[in-house]
Amino acid sequence: MIALMKRLGVISAVVLALGVAAGAVPQVMWQLPTAAPKDSIWEKALTDMTAAWARDTGGRVRATVFAGGKLGTEASIVRAMRVNNYQASLFMVTGGLAQIDDGFNALAIPFFFKDDAEMVAVRDALTPDLEKRLNAKGFHLLSWTTGGWVRLFSVNPLRTLADIKKAKLWTSDTDVKMTTWYKTNGFNPVPLDANAAASQLKIGMIDATPSPAYLALLLGMQNNAKYMLDVNLGPFLGALVVTTKAWNAVSPEDQAKLTAAAKVFETKTSVEMPANDAKAVTEMKARGLTVVQMAQKDLDELYATVGKLTASMRNDMVPAEMFDKAVAARDAYRKKK
Amino acid sequence: MKALAVRAENLLAALAISGLMLLPLAEIFLRNVFHIIIPGAAPIAQNLTLWVGLLGAAIAAREGKLLTLATGEFLPKGIVENVALIVTGFVGAAVSTLFMVGGIDFTRTAYDAGEMIAGIPMWVAVLAIPFAFGLIAIRLAWRAHSWIGRGLAALGIAGGWWLSQHLDVIAGHALWPWFTALGVSALLGAPIFALLGGVALVGLLGFGMLPDLAVGAAYEQLTSSSAGLATIPLFTLAGFLMAEGKSPERLLRMLRAWFGWIPGGTAIAAAALCAFFTLFTGGSGVTILALGGLLLPAMLKEGYRERFSIGLLTASGSLGLLFPLSVPLILFAIVVSAAGTPVEMGHMFIGGVLPGVLMLGLVGLLGSREAIRQRLERLPFRVSEMLAATWEAKWELLLPVVVLGALIGNWAKTAELAPVAALYALVVQRFIHRDLKSNGDVVRVMDDCVSLVGGVLLILCVAIGLTRYFVLIEVPEQLIAWTSAHVSDRWVFLLCLNVFLLLVGTVMDIFSAIVVVAPLLLPLAAHFKIDPVHLGVIFVANLELGYLHPPLGLNLLLASVRFKKPVLEVMWATLPFLGILAGGVLLITYWDSLTLGILRLTGMYAGLY
Repeated sequence: MIALMKRLGVISAVVLALGVAAGAVPQVMWQLPTAAPKDSIWEKALTDMTAAWARDTGGRVRATVFAGGKLGTEASIVRAMRVNNYQASLFMVTGGLAQIDDGFNALAIPFFFKDDAEMVAVRDALTPDLEKRLNAKGFHLLSWTTGGWVRLFSVNPLRTLADIKKAKLWTSDTDVKMTTWYKTNGFNPVPLDANAAASQLKIGMIDATPSPAYLALLLGMQNNAKYMLDVNLGPFLGALVVTTKAWNAVSPEDQAKLTAAAKVFETKTSVEMPANDAKAVTEMKARGLTVVQMAQKDLDELYATVGKLTASMRNDMVPAEMFDKAVAARDAYRKKK
Repeated sequence: MKALAVRAENLLAALAISGLMLLPLAEIFLRNVFHIIIPGAAPIAQNLTLWVGLLGAAIAAREGKLLTLATGEFLPKGIVENVALIVTGFVGAAVSTLFMVGGIDFTRTAYDAGEMIAGIPMWVAVLAIPFAFGLIAIRLAWRAHSWIGRGLAALGIAGGWWLSQHLDVIAGHALWPWFTALGVSALLGAPIFALLGGVALVGLLGFGMLPDLAVGAAYEQLTSSSAGLATIPLFTLAGFLMAEGKSPERLLRMLRAWFGWIPGGTAIAAAALCAFFTLFTGGSGVTILALGGLLLPAMLKEGYRERFSIGLLTASGSLGLLFPLSVPLILFAIVVSAAGTPVEMGHMFIGGVLPGVLMLGLVGLLGSREAIRQRLERLPFRVSEMLAATWEAKWELLLPVVVLGALIGNWAKTAELAPVAALYALVVQRFIHRDLKSNGDVVRVMDDCVSLVGGVLLILCVAIGLTRYFVLIEVPEQLIAWTSAHVSDRWVFLLCLNVFLLLVGTVMDIFSAIVVVAPLLLPLAAHFKIDPVHLGVIFVANLELGYLHPPLGLNLLLASVRFKKPVLEVMWATLPFLGILAGGVLLITYWDSLTLGILRLTGMYAGLY
């Protein structure tokens, strides 16, 4: 044990010595932990992006990516970033971003968007406001990313809103407001741990769960939940953020280079992740998954009814101002279309 | 005044663990009867686990029950012991103070951010952290025997505070003197949490982080929704409650009625009984301490040699660790899942069954051999006694039936099984058998349980900081690179793993070993295509053996205390068991079907490779 510790001591000393030696060129070293899975498209794109940062800034800005939640959950990373222990991270809207500012919940209202184009229109319209809100909390938005769409996987086919309401639906046991919203509006939520969905589907504690397709495939959900409702419940959106303190320590020229590489990350993941999602659906279909299409009248009823129900999220879950702006941006896009 | 404060502290801890038990039970009742859910029950329970763990740790520090390395036991009494108490008190107090300061900063940040947990401000929940570490710091300094000694040890508090304000003393400097000091103090008997937490803090501070990073990691570890950590205190409580009163006698009578006609039947019954209790108490030594007094006389009365009996009971003290509901199996699943390799608790439970039966069978085999060699008289097989003894032990036997019934009947979620077990044990011992005579008895048992669990959870929460430090300096990657360069064969790797884990088990308790070592082994195991469930069973089986390995195996020391025999004599008595169990561990390691066979056959889990 002591030998190991000594060894670690030496390693640390070497790491520090390297840092001091490299001090001739003013540089910053960021830690970029993320809960994004290891070996995922996200991790690869992040590693490419940080390599571009180091290259484009002449080594003045370096960052190490720690994927797979090795340095903690999104909640824990947010808390560490508040005191600048970590400097950058990739968060999802429903996780770290909403924890920093609940304005991000405007992008997570159930059945709010019908397709990508609507989501992008609203996201872009809200971006300036979200940037301001993030800045006020000590964070800077670098770029967006997407992980495709969250859809409902179920043991029995869900063909109508009534079916969805009847289903024993997984909800996060830490998301008290969402659970209450579901319950109040006649759904049948079962609050459970985030990792428990697949196993609880098996034993029947739940019979439906929202999930992005690639994650459902990864967890083998199609073994028990043999149906996927082909309606977008919500976008699996995320964003790359950096602490304001770390951001301000970088020169404006380098900031521009970092932003440019982050935009490349955004473009790359926004293409590759949805493609990966589509591939996952194809693979699950080959393994016995049935994709359920909702009849148009049932779909219309779903959007109309849930649209009314989600109004109660205004103020309670989504700040009124952000809720109104999201609705206005979406309706404006639909009108223009 | 002091007595009043102690009672208040005990009562608070009992209330916290009661809340931890009652909240999910209320949810089960309301959900099944009225279809009502309690929003926020899970986050509240997670934060109650934090309180139970940290209050328990403070009580353990008060009672001198914090887990330490076994080396401290070998220090000579007198001046050496006194100096060691001052040194270990100083270091322990300094590390605790650093965590306390980190806790204050963490609380302040939570206050500023306005984070809420199920309607309760998060800063209120995390106040437990600075409060508990402050108490622990004072209590560790207080352990010295004289006032001068306490004064010197208390300088650790001032030292810890000073360090927290002068982080540049660590950042940017060589860390090995700090690591050496922490290592030496651990060898002298400082609590393990001070070693692990101290190394974590020094490492992270050396990396330019603030102490609240380690505290944030500790908070995440104790409250993480995926952790299912609340099951640990509650399963342990169920074990403590069942160990009270006459439950062990009833179960022993039944086991003897069933197996007494086999040569070595009483030895087998004793080993099985130890396994039953160990699976709840996690092989923390409680089994030997609680059951030794009952089982040793029972075996001697039947004519077993004293040395053999002591050897068997020492070996049996950790036998149940591979059976379903065992706390180390739960912990392994939690730790490796948190490290990014999802492992289901249920798979660990089922994976451990056959290896557990194998280890129990091997000990039983030695029991039979002894009975035959000594020509011990066998008990006659009487159906009437078997039925009567089984009937007498019916309430104890129903415990697993009730727990599994709640799961299979879909009344309770997996995470809710522990409160069901704890409530059942409480009702049986307090109201049916009345072995617990008063509510005061219940509080006493709860406090015993909380202080044991607190010691474990304290290690768990500080060790995550160490894991984070290892990740930051990329130790797992370096380990993979080194092992890939030096070990190319899977079987050689497994052999190295056996030897390494045996050494780890000799010096470290099972909980610290899982938390610190398992995440480091995961990438190596993946590299050599060893399934994580199999790795977990190998891990726990090896650690089980480490409890018996001379010179520092924990069971050897506990048995020496319990049976009032020199450690050397206990070691000698345990050797045959160590030998046969080592054979079992090798079989478990190299024949993965023993672990994965049932899972594959039933289609529950195909294995990763």
